[in-house]
Amino acid sequence: MTEKDFDVQGFARDINELLILSTLRSQAKHGYQIALDVETDSNGLFRFRHGTLYPILHRLEAEGLIRGSWSKGGGRRKKVYSLTGTGRGHLSGETHRVHEIMSRLMQVLGHRDEAPA
Amino acid sequence: MLREVERGLALPIPERVRILRELEFDLEELCARLVAGGLSEELARGRAVQALVPDRATLRELDRLHAPWYRRVTQHVTEDRLRLAERSALAIATASVVVVQTVTLFRFDLLRDPSPFLWPVLGLGALLFATVVTQFFNLWIKGDHRIPAQGLSTILVLAGATVLTGFGGMIFDLYRLAGTLEKAPDLADAVAGAWLLRDLTLLSISILLALGGGLAWFLLDQWLRLVDRARSDVLGLKITYPPKRRTTRWSS
Repeated sequence: MTEKDFDVQGFARDINELLILSTLRSQAKHGYQIALDVETDSNGLFRFRHGTLYPILHRLEAEGLIRGSWSKGGGRRKKVYSLTGTGRGHLSGETHRVHEIMSRLMQVLGHRDEAPA
Repeated sequence: MLREVERGLALPIPERVRILRELEFDLEELCARLVAGGLSEELARGRAVQALVPDRATLRELDRLHAPWYRRVTQHVTEDRLRLAERSALAIATASVVVVQTVTLFRFDLLRDPSPFLWPVLGLGALLFATVVTQFFNLWIKGDHRIPAQGLSTILVLAGATVLTGFGGMIFDLYRLAGTLEKAPDLADAVAGAWLLRDLTLLSISILLALGGGLAWFLLDQWLRLVDRARSDVLGLKITYPPKRRTTRWSS
């Protein structure tokens, strides 16, 4: 089985997508709720700024990993996102991949620490 | 702030409105949640704006994601070449429709000897077709909402001209028929029926073309009203379509 070539920029983008997909695991959410939950769950480590959340959400929607639906409430139209079956599968697979990458990174760092002075 | 975001998006109005509606709701709700969590309104607003309002790079990313397929396909073609290609395609489409229409019409015995006014009616019909196709192309394929209002008036004018030409032609032909029959009443049986049928056909074709143009105008007009209303609603602006006519005030 061949491994995907590791691309650092792509990895950063993948992390953002995984953060969003994972918050949608439990229930459907509005965009602001996704941003809030990612920040809260990571204790402020991961934070979406300057609206970068929206292109990611729209891309995930275009790829079929999440589903956006409009509803009307209080005279306003609002959009809520939910995870699709394809999205669940993707989340599971990619979470495993990130695990692998982080394990290997820690392996390398661990070897460097052990190297003689 | 939403108006600034809208200015930074180079997308068709419906796409812009969808993005802005989503942003508007999320900003209000996030601000409310932060205030409920203990932040002051000013701080909450600042945090919400920082988190959710797109900067230039993000706006470009949104433009790229939501650009109409036509724009994506033609992005590497120069403006001049694209315009030339579009105009050529329109000319070919219009010419094809005229040829097919003429060939089809001449298959009917009714039009073996058509009224001379049928040709200007068909010509106006071709212009009407070209104008309607241009408007539909601009709105739905290119996603360009800048110019349609002018084009819509043209559709109405051409539709009106088509039916007036048909009607005027029929009246003129009937006047000629009356003149002919006055000079040679014995020709009435041979000529009158065919002539009347010819003119009724002319009128029917002109009315059908005008109705088609009218229907196209109605669909385009309703679509623009819907889009403008949605945009005005989300940005808190006055409705700009249909454009208000300037009225002249006469001082007493």
